[in-house]
Amino acid sequence: MKITELALRPPVVVACDATIADAAALMADAGVGALIVVDGDRPVGIVTDRDIVTRGVAQGRSPDGRIDGLMSMGLIALDHDAEMEDLVHVFDHHAVRRVPVVDHDRVVGVIALDDLLVALSKDLGDITKVLAAQIMFPHAADEPPAPARR
Amino acid sequence: MKAAVGDVLVIDGHHVGERTRRGEVVEVRGADGAPPYIVRWDDSERTTLLFPGPDCIVHHRDDDAP
Repeated sequence: MKITELALRPPVVVACDATIADAAALMADAGVGALIVVDGDRPVGIVTDRDIVTRGVAQGRSPDGRIDGLMSMGLIALDHDAEMEDLVHVFDHHAVRRVPVVDHDRVVGVIALDDLLVALSKDLGDITKVLAAQIMFPHAADEPPAPARR
Repeated sequence: MKAAVGDVLVIDGHHVGERTRRGEVVEVRGADGAPPYIVRWDDSERTTLLFPGPDCIVHHRDDDAP
């Protein structure tokens, strides 16, 4: 299964020299909890609403400070044709909760760990239905017994 | 930032318990050595696409040559 079969969230980007206040306002306007931080066209990090709280407000940073001072630096990304297995590996090995998806090195979407969980829970639901049917009607799929030969 | 195939990227952890990550550049996607890079991490057999941040240090392969 390709990762693009998941519902990709459109990326919301902020310039690395934007202020913390501007970034927070952008999150509010766009209804997102994370922004891709770019230097020109190049992604250089990601900043979340939690980063603004814990690295900004809690540390007494001015809202006029630069947002790249709060971001997590660097991005682990996946090509848009990557497999779901690759996505699981990134979440597992890189301790991230959001993975940008790129097409020709342009960020075209973001997948959150929650999105993966929702997709998998749907599959698990389908499997559960099959299992439930097999438990309730354990012999429904059995072949009829062959007639005995003399 | 510039890197070439065979260079090693090192990213130090920023939080308690976060380990230093080290990986080899196996493909350069940007023009003239610019990011992003396909990186094979030391602790994983898989490769990932990396847009490095300012905390990423490049150890050029040629620097280790005698």
